[in-house]
Amino acid sequence: MVNSKPCHAALKPSSCVRSKPCRRLYHSYEHERPPPFAPTESRILSAALSHVPTHGFATAALIQGARDAGYLDVSTNLFPTGPFSIVNYHLVTQRLALAKDAPSTNDTANNISENIRTLALRRLHANKPIIHRWQEALALLTTPAHLPTSLRELALLSDEFLFLAGSTDVTSTWYTNRAGLAVIYASAELYMTTDMSKDFVETEEFLTRRLAEGEKVKGLVGGVGAWAGMQAGGLVDGLRSKGIWI
Amino acid sequence: MNTASALRAVYRPALRQQSPICDFLLPSFSHSQSRKQYASVTTSSASPKTEPAPETLNSQSAAKRRRPLSKEQQQFLDSALRVNQAGELAATLIYTHQTLPITRLHPHLRPLMHHMYSQEAGHFSTFNAMLIRHRVRPTAMYPVWTAAASTLGWVTGLMGREAAMACTEAVETEIGGHYNGQVRVLLSWVKEMEEKGEEVGEEMRELVDTLKRIRDEELEHLDEAVGEGAKEARPYELLNRLIRSGCKGAIWISEKV
Ligand SMILES: [Fe+2]
Ligand SMILES: [Fe+2]
Repeated sequence: MVNSKPCHAALKPSSCVRSKPCRRLYHSYEHERPPPFAPTESRILSAALSHVPTHGFATAALIQGARDAGYLDVSTNLFPTGPFSIVNYHLVTQRLALAKDAPSTNDTANNISENIRTLALRRLHANKPIIHRWQEALALLTTPAHLPTSLRELALLSDEFLFLAGSTDVTSTWYTNRAGLAVIYASAELYMTTDMSKDFVETEEFLTRRLAEGEKVKGLVGGVGAWAGMQAGGLVDGLRSKGIWI
Repeated sequence: MNTASALRAVYRPALRQQSPICDFLLPSFSHSQSRKQYASVTTSSASPKTEPAPETLNSQSAAKRRRPLSKEQQQFLDSALRVNQAGELAATLIYTHQTLPITRLHPHLRPLMHHMYSQEAGHFSTFNAMLIRHRVRPTAMYPVWTAAASTLGWVTGLMGREAAMACTEAVETEIGGHYNGQVRVLLSWVKEMEEKGEEVGEEMRELVDTLKRIRDEELEHLDEAVGEGAKEARPYELLNRLIRSGCKGAIWISEKV
C-alpha cells in the first residue's frame, strides 16, 4: 500500500482520453503535440498489450503489464476503466502511428482515394497481432459506458485518414465524408475478425469494395446537389430571358 | 448583441447538457464556459487606429514559437477560423446573387461589384486553406448559411442598388467589427508573449497580418457601399437592423457549431 503511493503521482494521466474526451483543437505546426499518455502509464499499457495475445483484453494482461514495468499489482487500480484502457491505448497509439510514414501528399495529391485505402489498410494490419482477441475489444468498445470514447476515437481515426490522405474538403461534405469513412472502416475491422484468408486478402478486398461503393454514393450525393442547383439556375435564367428581372 | 444574448438565454439550458457522443462530429456546446475569458469575438469594433502595434510583429525572425498555445487559445482560434470561413462563404454568395440584377440597372457598378466579389473570393480561399492546414472543421450549418446568404443577396439585389448597398454596409459593419475583435485578442496574446520574452512565431505573425489585411478590405467595402447610397435605402433602419442581427446570430452559432 505504502509503495503504491509514488505510483499515484507517476501515473497522473497526462491525457484526456480517459473518460472525458478532449475537444479537437486548432492544429499548430510550431510545436510537438504532447504525448497522449504519461510515460509510466504508457510503459504499463504497452507491456500489458504484449500480454493480450495470451491473456486477452482482460485484467490479467493489465496485471502482467504492471509487473513487467516494475510496478505492484495494485497499480492497476489506477486504470479505472480496467482492460478498456489497453484497448484505448492500442487505438490511440496506432492512430498516431499512421502519421509517421503517411503517404506523401505532395506527389500523390490527385489520388486521395488511393491514399485513404492505403492508410486504412495499414491501420487494419496493425490489428494483426491481436486479431484473434479483437472481438473482446469490440465488446468492450461497445459497452454503453465506453461508447462515447469509442465513437470519438473512431471519428478521430477517420479524420486522421482524410487529413493524411490530403483531403481538402471544407464544405458541408466534411461531415458526411468522415461519417461514411468511419462506418466503412469499422465494418472492415469487424470483417477482419472472421477473416481466415492468407494475409487477410479478403479483408482488403472488402475494404476496397466498400470504399469504391462509398465513392459512388458520394458522387451521387454531389450530383443531386449540382443537379438541383442547375435546375434552379436554369429556371432563373429562363424567367430572366422572358424579361422578368430576377 | 440583443439577438445574441436572447438566443443564448433560450439555448443555455440545452447547451449545458454534455453531448454524449463524440463532440468531434457533433457540434459541441460543452466548452463554452472555458472560453469565457475572451468574451465574444464580436464585442469589439474599436477603430483600428487605436490598435497596438507590437514590434515583434514586424520582426523578420523565422524562429518558431517554442511554447505551445494554451488550450483556450487553440479553442479561440478553432472557432474564430470556422466563423471566418462561414462569413466569407456568405459574402461571396451575397455578391454573386446581387451582381446580375444590380449591374443590369446600374452598369457603372459592374467594376465595383466585381472588385468586391473577387476580394471576397480571395478571403474565402484564404480561410479554406487555413481550415485544411490547421484541421479546423467547417461549421455544421454550412448548407444553411449557403441558402440564407444566397437568398439575402438575391432579395437585396432585386430590391435595387440602395438596398444592395445597405446590405453590404450592414454585413461589413458586423464583419469588420468581428475581425477587429479577433485582431485585438491576437494582439493581446502577442503582447503577453513579448512581456514574457517568448518568441511569437511565424504562424501567429502571419495570422495577425492576414486578419488585419482582410479587416481593412472589409472596411473599404463598407465605405464604398455608403458612397453608393446605402443610407438612401428604404426602409434603411429596418434593413440595417435585420441584416445586422442576422449576422450576429450567424456568427454566434458558427462559433459553436
Ligand atoms: Fe471578406
Ligand atoms: Fe466584404
